[in-house]
Amino acid sequence: MKKFWILLKRELTAITREKTIMFAIMIQFVIASLSTILLTGIMAFYDPSSISQNTNARIRVGLVHESPTPMINYLAENGIRVNMYPDMPAAREAFSSGRLDAVMLIPVARSGVVDMQLILPALDTSQTVVLMMLQEPLKKFENYLRAANGIKVNYANLGGKPGNSYEFLYTLIIPILMLFPALITGSIIIDTISEEFQNKTFETLLASPISISQIFNAKLAAAVFTALGQVVLWVVLLRFNGTIIDNPLMVILMAVMSAAVIAFIAAFTALYFKDRERSQFIYSLILVVVVTGSYFLDLSPVSIISTLASGSGFNNLAALFVYPALLVILGPLFFIFSRRLVYRRN
Amino acid sequence: MRTILTIAKWEVLRLRSRFGGKSRVVILPVILLAIVLSFTIYHQDFSFSKGIYTIGIESGSLIIGDARFKAIVLDQETGRQQLANKKIDLYLYGNTVLMRNDDRSQYAAGSLKKYLENRELNRIAAQYTLDKAFPLRIVISYPDSPELETEGRLAEAFSSDLRSPDTSDAMAEENILPFDQSVNGVSESSENYPSINAAPGETNSGVSEPFTGTSIYDAAVSSQLEKWQTGGQLPEFKAQFTSENEIIIPSLMTPPMPLAQVILAFLYVIPMFFISVFFTSSFTEEKTNRKLVILLSSPVTRLQVIFGKMLPYYIYSLLAITGVTIILGGNVFLALAIFLPVMLFVFAIYLMVALTYRTFKDQTFFSVLALSVITVYLVVPAMFAGVSNLSYASPLTLAVQMFRGESFTLGQYLIGTIPLYLVFFLAMYIGRQVFTEEFLMGFKPLRIKAVEAIYLAINKQHLNYSIFILSILLIPMVFAAQLVAIVIVSNLPVQAILLVLMVVSIVIEEIAKSAGIYALIRFRTIAGLKQIVVLAGLSALGFWAGEKLLVLLAASIGADSGPAAIFLGSGLKGGWMLVVPLVLHFITTLLLSYIASFKVKRAYILGILSGTVAHSIYNFAVLYITGAIR
Repeated sequence: MKKFWILLKRELTAITREKTIMFAIMIQFVIASLSTILLTGIMAFYDPSSISQNTNARIRVGLVHESPTPMINYLAENGIRVNMYPDMPAAREAFSSGRLDAVMLIPVARSGVVDMQLILPALDTSQTVVLMMLQEPLKKFENYLRAANGIKVNYANLGGKPGNSYEFLYTLIIPILMLFPALITGSIIIDTISEEFQNKTFETLLASPISISQIFNAKLAAAVFTALGQVVLWVVLLRFNGTIIDNPLMVILMAVMSAAVIAFIAAFTALYFKDRERSQFIYSLILVVVVTGSYFLDLSPVSIISTLASGSGFNNLAALFVYPALLVILGPLFFIFSRRLVYRRN
Repeated sequence: MRTILTIAKWEVLRLRSRFGGKSRVVILPVILLAIVLSFTIYHQDFSFSKGIYTIGIESGSLIIGDARFKAIVLDQETGRQQLANKKIDLYLYGNTVLMRNDDRSQYAAGSLKKYLENRELNRIAAQYTLDKAFPLRIVISYPDSPELETEGRLAEAFSSDLRSPDTSDAMAEENILPFDQSVNGVSESSENYPSINAAPGETNSGVSEPFTGTSIYDAAVSSQLEKWQTGGQLPEFKAQFTSENEIIIPSLMTPPMPLAQVILAFLYVIPMFFISVFFTSSFTEEKTNRKLVILLSSPVTRLQVIFGKMLPYYIYSLLAITGVTIILGGNVFLALAIFLPVMLFVFAIYLMVALTYRTFKDQTFFSVLALSVITVYLVVPAMFAGVSNLSYASPLTLAVQMFRGESFTLGQYLIGTIPLYLVFFLAMYIGRQVFTEEFLMGFKPLRIKAVEAIYLAINKQHLNYSIFILSILLIPMVFAAQLVAIVIVSNLPVQAILLVLMVVSIVIEEIAKSAGIYALIRFRTIAGLKQIVVLAGLSALGFWAGEKLLVLLAASIGADSGPAAIFLGSGLKGGWMLVVPLVLHFITTLLLSYIASFKVKRAYILGILSGTVAHSIYNFAVLYITGAIR
């Protein structure tokens, strides 16, 4: 046991030296932030109200129309200021002097079709923003016209909030943060094992009074410990950020079990090939297979973690037995085959 | 050339021996399986959020074909009960949806609404004629005169956190709603308004379109409808509302999604990443077993060794680019032109990784970090494709345009790719200079290694030129670092973002300007204030010149947006503003370098601090004078 701790310490120092683990955390941070930025972008386009919430941007629209139109209400409901103009030249004048962000001309409809004219700023950026903010009122107006044509649109005022960011957070960001450490675990294992072979330090280790399984025990444990540390760190950091993970202990357990499974896969790969090039390549491919394959299963770590973390009624307890069972099988298998693989010649 | 080819041949042989024989039996099935699985998912209705919500449905109600919803059939009573007990998120019977007031249920309802809206739209489009189903067509037009003031107002609104809130009210001077209805009175029914069909014929509001029964825009509607119905499965390389058609149908408006850019980035960059792993592995292996050092003693130049070892991987990457483009149905020639510089950039960074690090572990971490930085560099500007010209900072924008079937100009190509080429040449040059046994085999912290690399890269016979050119060449790196800073800073509260971003950008700039001088000071090549003054001046001049060159390039493609000011430093406009930044760069670089030359601990950090403080004071002064902050 004492030997195990010494070896474990050796591996952990190797990981923390050169601040490599800092890089790992930074990578995850950059990935999470980039995803958040993308999300904010996507959100803004789906839910224009988030723009006005985030930026206090208010747009002002000039409206030219003949008869009373519900468009005025639709615009106002979405926080857009409306100025009325008797005719187009007056509105154009106000627009070119910069008092308006857009001009809308609503002609009287004939046979139920309205060809609205919309003047937008010439600049791409403002154009997109203005159009995004007008999207909701325009849709409402369209439904109003449909109703006038005798078409009933169901569910138009269902309510609810746009769930994009919620879904994104719990089904993408949190699983990424919880499982990325597992992927890194695999890479660490491959690197430390293939390094021992390629630098021929493994022979020295074998000559010392340490058994092969002790060496691998320590390597695997060090890598899984690192994953555990990162996962706990993320749960705490997310809490500070106001994101609450439900069932935190279960989520952490799930993430660590995934890391352990991946660690075994990586160790097998590295022992089989004994050089970094092939091991890393095959390992990445196996990951692609495992990740894409698990999409079809309700038991995939991603879906288990997202259901656990979002606190939705988790009723798939079988899932939590599959992974310990997998580990119980993989562990002994590994220690039976590792000795053989070490002495296998390529 | 011959030597390079010989080295390249050896590299290929080495790789082939690795992947020959028995390992092929393992590798090929795994590759095949990966392809088959990815293909299957691609042809499924892919959804990240599979089964995140649970919805109770009365039997006989509609079937929900959205992967996000797990549906359970429940009778009304159990449904209501389970909804209250939070066992399910929504309950649906007939045309009614029941929800709770908590966030989760509300989000579920929001998502369900989106789904049902689309479903309704399909139904309406199938049931009714075009002009009945899509009665509103919007003709977009733009005024001839550029609306500078409008832009100014919007830009101002967006940076409103630096501004007092009452200014917007000052603009609200004129006639708001001389209309008899209460604006806030939400009225869902259409009874208050005159029936549209009954409206009289005359128009006197300046409408110029002649109306002849049906709308002349039916063709546009049907083509957009078709696009809308077929779209959504494949990545849509469309990022703006109004590209080719200037007619908008509200319910068919597809929001600009930056998703296509991300997918493109990954499709092209991931294969390069895979290939580069072989390169770094091979390089490091030969570094540790000293084969590289032996090669150095043979009659080949260092550059030949580097090129020779990289050449096979270049070719593999180019093949990968070609393959991806053919699969996606793009223009191979254009794709190669766009992604060649990206590839060179990727390999430049990986060459640096391979040269600097000795253990595989460090390499893995640094490679993945480099990969994420590259992704940020490519994806973040490209997100604005079709929204702002700023997006041309990333060549990915060009790729998006290529796949959309749009053309781009040479200027747009250059502004995205020149920085990448520059990084490549810089990396090759530094690679050549540091390719010595001492550097390759040395175990030193990253910071020291970086300083050493810069020191080795500087031509000691021509200190002045070297410092000047180094400053210019580091600008793309500064840009990349600033982009990553933006991504990281975006986690902060909105009020802090601009401030922190400005300070971080300044720190990055100051480090870039002083790196060469500091390396020289550290290796005691220069000493004394006089030499520092001269070099600081040249470094500032180089940085300033490069910066202005970028601004000119940006102006030539008509970059319009305010954010450019953040990237390119202050002083985009105005005559006197041209010289002041130069003076500023000189002063801060001089201050920094001088303090860094003190013989105290952490002199460089102290220098960076003082340079940053000086630069920040200047920036705030400019913002204050120009009225951006009060």
